[in-house]
Amino acid sequence: MKSHPISTSLGIFPKSWSEDKAGRIPGNIPIWVGILSELTEFGIFFAAYFIAKFYYPEIFAQGPQSLNTALGVINTIVLLSSSYFMAKAMSHIRLDNRKKCERYLWLAVSCGALYLLVKTWEFHWNSLQGYSTSTNEFFTVYYYMTFNHFLHVGWASCAILWVIFRLRKGAYSSEENSGLEALAVYWHMIDLMWILIFPLLYVLR
Amino acid sequence: MKKFGKLEYYLSALVGITLLNTFLGERFASTTLVSILIALTVIYKGFVVIDHFMELKGANRNLRMLMRLYFVLFPSLIIVSAFY
Repeated sequence: MKSHPISTSLGIFPKSWSEDKAGRIPGNIPIWVGILSELTEFGIFFAAYFIAKFYYPEIFAQGPQSLNTALGVINTIVLLSSSYFMAKAMSHIRLDNRKKCERYLWLAVSCGALYLLVKTWEFHWNSLQGYSTSTNEFFTVYYYMTFNHFLHVGWASCAILWVIFRLRKGAYSSEENSGLEALAVYWHMIDLMWILIFPLLYVLR
Repeated sequence: MKKFGKLEYYLSALVGITLLNTFLGERFASTTLVSILIALTVIYKGFVVIDHFMELKGANRNLRMLMRLYFVLFPSLIIVSAFY
């Protein structure tokens, strides 16, 4: 019986998308199904934002001024740095340098934890100012988007811890690192979503 | 001394653009020009992460196209929303 590797056999994407015809798929197909689903989910959030902004332009012009911009900037820099650390971890596993790979993974997970702390502080700060999900349409969209993103950072940080555990067990090498790479592309996707969320909620008036 | 490589350069650019965007948003009222500038920088940031951190440059061209399309579509809506 013919066996097919998982990365090319799920039959979810058209044949023209196969690695043979379109090029290497970073990670594996299942993680890309997850990523495309997440992009759709966040796409719906972004559509909701633009529709709400169309109907309530004044509320959306004032909304960002009520937020703590400094905390938003800090979290953006923290997430960008985490993406950098993840890319460095990938480059080191390709050199079979597990020690440095693990070091960068710890830095990435630290950034994830710092993001969660800063975001929790921001939610607390908001509540001290009297803002909640029901304050107005801007804050409904703000909490809807940012809390969802918060959850993604939370479970992806747990996934980094799992990958560190697997790395220590010797599961990844320069030859086989698809599991680590799958997590890396998922983590970058989370960073990408924040790159879009940040200007929408904190910068644009 | 450690080499300042490609990834370090891109990280610096991403952080610099983030600070510039924040400055634009804080300093100026959201004029159409500011919104267009911010949308363009968001597209650039997205492309950098997709190509160099996610490493889709030189990988599967359809996935790369899809990701880049996403990062053209939604920032374009920022420009559209500037005309509300």
